[in-house]
Amino acid sequence: MIRTEEMLLNVGPQHPSTHGVFRLVVKIDGEIITEAKPVIGYLHRGTEKLAEDLQYTQIIPYTDRMDYLSAMTNNYVLCHAVETMMGIKIPDRAEYLRVLTMELGRVASHLVWWGTFLLDIGATSPFLFAFREREMIINLLNELSGARLTFNYMRVGGVKWDAPEGWIEKVREFVPYMREQLKGYHELVTGNEIFMNRVKGVGKYTKEDALNYSLSGVNLRCTGVKWDLRKDEPYSIYDRFDFDVPTRQNGDAWTRYQCRMEEIEQSLKIIEQAVEQFPAEGDILAKVPKIIKAPKGEAYVRIESPRGEIGCYIASDGKKEPYRLKFRRPSFYNLQILPKLLKGENMANLIVVLGAIDIVLGEVDG
Amino acid sequence: MLGLAKGLKYTLKNLTRKKFTYEYPNEPLPLPDRFRGIQKFYPEKCIVCNQCAAICPTDCIQLTGKKHPDPTKKGKIIDTYDINFEICILCDLCTEVCPTEAIVMTNNFELAEYSRDILFKNLEWLDENDENIREVNKA
Repeated sequence: MIRTEEMLLNVGPQHPSTHGVFRLVVKIDGEIITEAKPVIGYLHRGTEKLAEDLQYTQIIPYTDRMDYLSAMTNNYVLCHAVETMMGIKIPDRAEYLRVLTMELGRVASHLVWWGTFLLDIGATSPFLFAFREREMIINLLNELSGARLTFNYMRVGGVKWDAPEGWIEKVREFVPYMREQLKGYHELVTGNEIFMNRVKGVGKYTKEDALNYSLSGVNLRCTGVKWDLRKDEPYSIYDRFDFDVPTRQNGDAWTRYQCRMEEIEQSLKIIEQAVEQFPAEGDILAKVPKIIKAPKGEAYVRIESPRGEIGCYIASDGKKEPYRLKFRRPSFYNLQILPKLLKGENMANLIVVLGAIDIVLGEVDG
Repeated sequence: MLGLAKGLKYTLKNLTRKKFTYEYPNEPLPLPDRFRGIQKFYPEKCIVCNQCAAICPTDCIQLTGKKHPDPTKKGKIIDTYDINFEICILCDLCTEVCPTEAIVMTNNFELAEYSRDILFKNLEWLDENDENIREVNKA
């Protein structure tokens, strides 16, 4: 006798499309997913607990390892929180270096997303092109900070290194080069009919859903909510730059793709302006005590990382270590909508839905 | 079909351009001076102030000092100095706090070994690690 049975399928923990260790238990009825349950925590290192025994400077290398594709924003959010508590004014030159590195990181991060997302859905060459340009950014940041991914570059009160000779020139030259390559990317992928059929209307959610699940970043902006902390709550020196916040209305994978590609352009615009305005000289570190002690009290700051709103909460009892440290990690929040999106979806679309959210497992697991 | 053809054109155009890949490991990887690799240690410069061990976020540095052999001189000299590269994250904080630049970074990064014990480096090994030493150590 023929009978149909629900099948339980284990995706991961070592599945190439998760770009990390992420397990997804899916129940499938034929080709249709009836239930999806994400299992996270394989990369959990307890950063927040470890931080309670560490001085503020010692926590900075740990933040590199959360969102390892844009470690500069993580460095910044921690330093920004401590600086807010201590009321330190950052020298201009340091602020410009911070913005330059954060925006370069944003471009690099979106390039990784672009390459790997297309690799996941079957296109090999975009991955190679994206990593070619990303390598240039990594080399720039390597020259500045001495590491390719785990920069440990920012310090409470400024940055560790000044820009080496000719570095600003290299960044200036990179902007038009990257713009040219972006055109090529659009030529290669954006109009491709196969790609469009894979992403249009897939993983769609409404503005209300996005807000209820507290999504942030591109995942929120693709539904039409114009919310970018660089514009709405300007931190650092972002109020000095002229840039747009790309939004779309549809809330599907295709609009997320469009938003991210436009964000690269906007980041390049910021980099271009920052290079122009870059102060010829100045300090890179404010006057800070050797042992940093945040005053008694608490602070919460939030900034815009490539994946969304990253926040840092510090409760201090006046010692050199925080009493409690909490990171609002955007990937963790953005991932929560996945079971809802996958329900009733075709199995073949699982990778597209997961990929379009753009998670980094180091950040999800903390 | 137009989008597909356009994409193919871009791929074909890229067939003739120069290669971007490195010849590593046949040729050494070009690295900037600031690159943070395995530390080099100068025992004669060390004043046993313990700052590197205190700032290390992973507690991978262990050191002991002894009295200066010359009784007329004050202070201590280094006796043992070990770095456990199983847990060292090459974060550069030890070189940042060192007042005498007794510990500096090098450009060497190849740490793959067949045994975990080999990753435990002592004073002699760190002293002999003197290739590709970083020139500028403080900002």
